[in-house]
Amino acid sequence: MERISQLMDGELDSQSARQALSRLRQHDGMRENWDTFHLIGDALRGEETLSPEFGRRFAQRLAGEPTVLAPARSTAPKLTAYTLSAAASLAAVALVGWLAVGTRTATTPPAELANAAAPAVAESSAPEPVTAPKAQLASEPYDGTLNEYLMAHTGFSPSTVIQGVAPYIRTVAASHSEQNR
Amino acid sequence: MINAFWRIAAVGVATAGLATAYGADEGLSWLTRMANASSVVNYSGTFVYHNRGTSETSRVVHFVNPAGGVFERLEALDGPAREVIRTNDQVTCYLPSIKTVRIEQRNAKLVPGLLPENLAGIGESYRVRLGGIDRVAGHECQIVVLEPKDSLRYGRDFCAELKSGLPLRVRTISGRNEGLEAFAFTQLTIGGSFRRDRVMSKYASKSHKWRVDRSALSLVEREVETGWAVTRQPPGFRKLLEVKRSIAGRAGAVAQIIFSDGLAAISVFIEPIPGKRPVQTLTHQGAVNIYTRPLADQLVTVLGEAPAATIMQIGNSLERRSGAAAR
Repeated sequence: MERISQLMDGELDSQSARQALSRLRQHDGMRENWDTFHLIGDALRGEETLSPEFGRRFAQRLAGEPTVLAPARSTAPKLTAYTLSAAASLAAVALVGWLAVGTRTATTPPAELANAAAPAVAESSAPEPVTAPKAQLASEPYDGTLNEYLMAHTGFSPSTVIQGVAPYIRTVAASHSEQNR
Repeated sequence: MINAFWRIAAVGVATAGLATAYGADEGLSWLTRMANASSVVNYSGTFVYHNRGTSETSRVVHFVNPAGGVFERLEALDGPAREVIRTNDQVTCYLPSIKTVRIEQRNAKLVPGLLPENLAGIGESYRVRLGGIDRVAGHECQIVVLEPKDSLRYGRDFCAELKSGLPLRVRTISGRNEGLEAFAFTQLTIGGSFRRDRVMSKYASKSHKWRVDRSALSLVEREVETGWAVTRQPPGFRKLLEVKRSIAGRAGAVAQIIFSDGLAAISVFIEPIPGKRPVQTLTHQGAVNIYTRPLADQLVTVLGEAPAATIMQIGNSLERRSGAAAR
């Protein structure tokens, strides 16, 4: 049980994660625990909860889809390699896990990334097989290097008309990282 | 650790969802009141900016210029010292940690207000409704919720001070009901008369020897054809403006095309690639997503307070307008 919690929080190294995921695959009871943990997490965060059946239906749907890679945490590069080799059903579990944990990280949720990747594929002039797994452009936290552009944009937003000068805080955020420019 | 702030935010949105007795018209008229408040009300206070798990506190002073326009000063209280002064003609950022002054010359006449036609656009793209009465920084306020009708935009949740209409809290919410960004006053004084020293930079005298980065909008007031077009413009977004301008640190003119759905705005910047060929990047800050990509010999930068997919769709469908000469 504790292992599941650690797995959800991304605290296991690749070896332990592999074992935990393997046990998850073999034992229906543990799968239910996994689902329940996420339901509790969702409820705590006040999100709309998913039905316990969601995971199963999601896995079925996903099995018919091309493999989607969840961006790995930067501290666990080995986990990436593992995710690549995971069976589709396990990838589904991992993705559901990521979606639930995603609210606590500073990255854009993969659902958004998955949508975002679509135009990039469509844009390419050479026809590409739809099933080919394509590396996705993961969203990184902004590093403050485009503040002139943010300034040039902010004044035109109707949101700024409503909020006054406050949104300009974005244009000077992370300025300390500009020292290396 | 679960962020308590967003848990409260989610409950607030859910509560607002129960109170749908009011129509969209009242919601839109509250939006107009909010937009007008900044041109009639003086205020000063402290606000917190929450941005995906981090938060910082700033002090703000806002005076209405009786001759039109505003004088505003924003000072970051956390982290490195930073200050923003805004007048009708320019926005000036003072960055003492890197001894830099960044100036954006602006042409207030080109900046669209929240016009009635924009409000109609908001009604097309968002379900607008009134929530209950809340309290922020000791002031009672009306909750106004804008729920997007599709996944191309983010939701908003305002709380407007009852008498003045001043927005005391503004939250941006993703399609998955996550809080992406929030501005909220923690202390606020409404009223007070103009005092020049309160909107002067405290670095005004020290900054003479600092580096100055200057960007400016062309003073030509009419729009120009930049020679670029977005072929798959996301539904609900209309082109607000198309200009050529200067950006600090860039040798040539930069094309800027601005799209808006009445509430959110997205800017596209196109310029010759400076230096070595860049790669695609996607970054985010609060509700703003920023996408850059090379396109032939040009660098495209798209940014705005909209989901990454919307920003990328605009960036990926940018094309030279047929018949337009390369500029």
